[in-house]
Amino acid sequence: MTSMKMVEVPLQIFRYKEGERPHYDTFTVQVPETAHVIDAMDAVWAMHDRSFTFRRACHHSSCGSCSLRINGVEKLPCITRVTDVWDGRAPLRLDPLRNFAIVSDLVVDVSSFFQRLSAAGMAITRDAEPSLPLSVDGLAVIGVSPKPVELPENLSCFNRFENCIECAICMSACPTMATDDKFLGPAGLAAIYRARQKTDNPIDVAHLLGMADGEHGVWRCHSAFECTAACPQAVDPAGKIMALRRELIGRRFKKR
Amino acid sequence: MATLNYPKIRQAGRWIDVRRRKLGMWAYALNRLTGIGLVVYLYLHLGVLSQLARGQSSWDSFVSLARSPYYLALDVLLLAGILIHGLNGLRVALTGFDIGVRAQKTLFGILMLVAAVALVAAALKIFGG
Amino acid sequence: MASDLMLIPHVIIVGAGSTGAATAHDLALRGLRVTVIERGEVASGTTGRNHCLLHAGGRYCVTDRESAIECIDENMILRKIMPDLLELNDGLFVALTEADLAFKERFLEGCAACHIPAHDIPVKRALAMEPFLNPSTLAAVQVPDGVFEPFRFCLAFLATARLHGAVVRRYAEVTDFISSGKNVTGAKLKDRRTGKSETLGADLVVNAAGPWAGEIAAMAGVSVPEVPTAGVMVALDCRLNNMVLNRLNKPSDGDIVVPQRATSVIGTTSWTVKDPDLISIPPEHVERMISQGEQLLPLVRKVPMRAKMAVARPLIARRGEDARKVSRTFECFDHAADGANGFVTIAGGKTTTARAMAERVADIVCDKLGIATACRTRDLPLASYRLFYQ
Repeated sequence: MTSMKMVEVPLQIFRYKEGERPHYDTFTVQVPETAHVIDAMDAVWAMHDRSFTFRRACHHSSCGSCSLRINGVEKLPCITRVTDVWDGRAPLRLDPLRNFAIVSDLVVDVSSFFQRLSAAGMAITRDAEPSLPLSVDGLAVIGVSPKPVELPENLSCFNRFENCIECAICMSACPTMATDDKFLGPAGLAAIYRARQKTDNPIDVAHLLGMADGEHGVWRCHSAFECTAACPQAVDPAGKIMALRRELIGRRFKKR
Repeated sequence: MATLNYPKIRQAGRWIDVRRRKLGMWAYALNRLTGIGLVVYLYLHLGVLSQLARGQSSWDSFVSLARSPYYLALDVLLLAGILIHGLNGLRVALTGFDIGVRAQKTLFGILMLVAAVALVAAALKIFGG
Repeated sequence: MASDLMLIPHVIIVGAGSTGAATAHDLALRGLRVTVIERGEVASGTTGRNHCLLHAGGRYCVTDRESAIECIDENMILRKIMPDLLELNDGLFVALTEADLAFKERFLEGCAACHIPAHDIPVKRALAMEPFLNPSTLAAVQVPDGVFEPFRFCLAFLATARLHGAVVRRYAEVTDFISSGKNVTGAKLKDRRTGKSETLGADLVVNAAGPWAGEIAAMAGVSVPEVPTAGVMVALDCRLNNMVLNRLNKPSDGDIVVPQRATSVIGTTSWTVKDPDLISIPPEHVERMISQGEQLLPLVRKVPMRAKMAVARPLIARRGEDARKVSRTFECFDHAADGANGFVTIAGGKTTTARAMAERVADIVCDKLGIATACRTRDLPLASYRLFYQ
């Protein structure tokens, strides 16, 4: 058995149970040096405190459920290595996402988030690019240029899941989300943009652009660009919001 | 399901906390700060101008105050606010309509460099006489 | 009528993984009152960390035909009931060695015997479809593999169940069962959001706790022949294949690369674990995934690792068997025979066949409760997964 180098990581975790005052608990866990933050959270639950609650499912950035703040910055703990965010001394601080009501410890109530996404109605699958490889972080790291792919005879198109994993990190990072309860938010507006790209039906387009143009749509954005910076899946919600604005303005001019 | 909501006031003031935030957020916070500063300045300016209505001696005493180095320093601060807010505002206006979104960080860098150069030149002029 | 409501049986389902979710869906559709008790987030156990492979059954068609037929049948049903939640790019079984090539005939026979559509395609064509496939590929067989996301898979079943009246309690942990004589009459649970305990009565309890089914069964005084068997998977920072790539041979470690979204996931390994609560990922298993993966896709080693995951599969034990050889089929255990009436365990299986597992256990549950409603889950399209949280 290859020996693993272990590290002892202190974690300062936000705790809240209904009826009690929120506070921080610090736990020290021993995890392999190559561990991700989610592994450390698992160790806290298994070895120290079974009342510790947090969301997770896939452990590989496809479900979007584990999102939280590590040292104040929104991240997915399943793809964040402990050594990438821990300075080796001060405890690693874990907080729940901002702008959502807190249910228990790091679990937040995402019902309002999914209401917005349902309103946008974007299908989570899409046509795939006609080439490989595909990466959210760019291909510079492996230096391979894209190669076109041929389709099998029985398929008219390859398909894949949209980049967005509906993790709500952008909603937490966005300063406008803190001020407007009904703001569609970067994820909602990015979903509207993608839904609009996938349809030519004038009624659907009018409905989608109407939501974007509305009181809680694109005009609430104040260009902090924090959503795009924080997104772990390179969705670029800010870019999509600006693209929607451009389309809305363009339509206004055409009408004249 | 009972849940805890953070009080609204804490959330609304959140924009000023730029620790560990990225460049876009810094620009946003800076724009808001300078914006508030400029609004406060506007009121001060109007107050100052009202001195004109109070006759020559009132105005003369203001002008001699306005020549003091402390006041000139404030003028430079005001100019900084105008340059930052105005030039960054240009970036916000451009990106806000989907122009140069991919280059928003570079744009910020360039515009703030312009602001810095203009500010230094102006400060030299103001203090140099 | 109020009196009719009292007659509707209440079923508690322990576990909101694929088994629990599909069972809740089936029973709710048959008009039963359902409460799902899950101690974490939906799919936070085995299901969440699965390989995301919508099996066409090719993997089992030679060694485990019962599993293979279950897979292809359920594959077709899932395509109908959750079309928007699947990547449907088919899959290839790839021969890289002479041994693999020799296996091809048995493989094609197995597919035919299990009505799995399989096409032997020219290697040149395979390399055009998958440009990063090992250029020394000797043969390729195309099958209707697909890819799903286990989290949204469960959310879709549970959302539909909720629309039909089911209640899903997340962050609630079963701590004990209450009985009256030999009948299980309810569960004691702890609400992990508040730390408070409560009791919930039920006419029947379905134990769908995956690798923890043994633990849950013990609370009811019975046992389940289960062997939690862990496996490691590695997700890469980029997607090197559009189609699922399988090694054309008998099942072995790291012989499947499942693409999904913008990643390729290589899996998996197999070892028995005593405690499914905390599984440490052996680094040699991670290395094995990379070295196996790079046989199918030579670029694998150049791509940084995005994530690695490990979780225990709920395999049903048969004495003296190698974990790889244990059947991936599922089994229902009606514990009335063991002295716990009103307690049924559904164990084993895989997410691809969750709906079929649910149909079987729901039939048993309804039979025991005297409900004559038939299963409707084969044809009913699932509601939007987003509705689960609303």
